[in-house]
Amino acid sequence: MARGVAVLLGTKKGVYIFRSGAARERWRLEKPSFPGQPIYHVAFDPRDGESLYAGVNMTWGGPRVEISRDLGKTWKPGKNPAFPKGDERTFSRTWHIEAGHAKQPDVMWLGTEPASLFKSTDRGESWEPVRALNEHDDAKKWAPGGGGLGLHSIAVDAGDPKALTIGISSGGVYETADGGKSWTRMNFGLSSPVPLEADGDLTCVHHVVASPTVPGARFQQAHIGTYFKDAGEKKWTNMTKGLPTDYGFASAIHPRDPQTAYVFPLEFPMRMSPPAAGAAVWRTRDRGKTWKKLANGLPRGSSYEVMRDGMATDRLDPAGVYFGTTNGEVWGSADEGRTWALIAQHLPPILSVETATL
Amino acid sequence: MGKVTVKLHGAFSEFAAGARSASVEATDIAGALAGLVERYPGLAERLRDEHGKMREHVNIFANEEEMRYLDGERTALRDGDIVHIVPAVSGGEA
Repeated sequence: MARGVAVLLGTKKGVYIFRSGAARERWRLEKPSFPGQPIYHVAFDPRDGESLYAGVNMTWGGPRVEISRDLGKTWKPGKNPAFPKGDERTFSRTWHIEAGHAKQPDVMWLGTEPASLFKSTDRGESWEPVRALNEHDDAKKWAPGGGGLGLHSIAVDAGDPKALTIGISSGGVYETADGGKSWTRMNFGLSSPVPLEADGDLTCVHHVVASPTVPGARFQQAHIGTYFKDAGEKKWTNMTKGLPTDYGFASAIHPRDPQTAYVFPLEFPMRMSPPAAGAAVWRTRDRGKTWKKLANGLPRGSSYEVMRDGMATDRLDPAGVYFGTTNGEVWGSADEGRTWALIAQHLPPILSVETATL
Repeated sequence: MGKVTVKLHGAFSEFAAGARSASVEATDIAGALAGLVERYPGLAERLRDEHGKMREHVNIFANEEEMRYLDGERTALRDGDIVHIVPAVSGGEA
C-alpha cells in the first residue's frame, strides 16, 4: 500500500518537491534545492525508492547531475558525462534522466545536449557515452529545434531490459533491442513540419514515453501529431484526430493501461499557448480513437504553456495526473484527470514534472 | 615556486566544501588551478569541460588584473600573489 506521492518539479530556478498522502488532497512543500539554478529534469528511481537525480544546467560551473539518496534532503554531484577524446562535442546540458529496467538496478540513462545518450552502471555516480547512438550515421544531420539539440526522451521498456526508445529534437525516435549496441531510426508513420523525402526520414519529436507495465507500448507527442506504437509494430499510428491541435510538447501515459494517455495541446505557430478551446489536458482511453477534454477545475481563459517533460502520472489507483506550467503553477488530479486542483502557484517557470509513488 | 593564495568567490566555494580560499605552490595560473583542483577535486568539472577548456562565465584574476588581459593561464605568479576565481556577473535572461 503506497504511503503517498511526491511531485518533483524541475524549474528555471531550482528543485521543488511537494509531498502528499495517498489521498493526494493536501500537499506540503519540502525545502527547495539549488535556488536560482535551472533544472531541466528531476528523476526518481522506483527501484530503490529513495534516489533522485537532478539535471542542473548552470552557466557558472557548467552543467552537472546531482544525486540524492534520501528523496531530496541532501544532494551531491556525480561525475559529469564526457564525450571521448577526438569528439569535438562538449556536454552542455542535461535534458532527461531515467532509471533503468528493474532487472538492472544500478543502470541509469542520461540524455544530453548536444543530443547524446550516456549510461551509468553505478547509479549515476559516473557515465559512459553510448557510442553506437552518439556516433550514429544520422548524428551529423541532427539539427537543433527551438530549445536546442537535445536527447530529451528516454523510454525504458517494461519487459525487456535491452529495449530502449529515445527521442531527439530534431532527429526523431531511435530504438535499440540489444541494450544500446545498435540503434535503428524509428520515424515510420510520423508527420513532419517540413516535407519528408521518404517515410521514416528525420523529423522532430517532442516527447516519447513508455508504458511502465506493458512491454512494447509507446506513446508520443511529436511536433506534428500524437502517436501510439505497440510491441511488434514497425511504424507509429497517428491518432491525432479528435484533438484541438496537432501540436504540443507534453505527453504522459497511464501507469497500467497503455490505451490511456494524456496530452496538453498548444497552438502553433507564433503562440505556444492553448488553442481556442481553452487550456486543458486531453485524455484518450481507447488508444487515441477518441479524446476527451479534461478541464474541470482549471481556470477558463488561461494561457498555460506546458513543456515537454511537464506532465506525469503517478502509480496509484486511480492514477494521479500532474502538470506544471511556465507561469509557475502545478496542477494535480487524483482521479485520472476528471477533476483538477491547484497544488501550488507563484513558483518559477516549471520545466519538468515527475512523480515518486512512495 | 611561490606560495599563492587562490580565493573562491560566489558559487565556486560550494564545490570546495565551503572553502573560500586555498594556499598552493605555483609559478603560474595554470599551476595554481592544478593545485586547487588537487585539493578540491569537485572543482575540476566546474572550471573546465571534458576537453580541458575553461568554462564560460569563469573569470580568473591575478591580483587585480583579469587573466585574459595578461598571458592567460601562463600568467606568471610570484610569492604572495592572489588568484581570484569569480563567477561572471552576466545574463539578460530572467
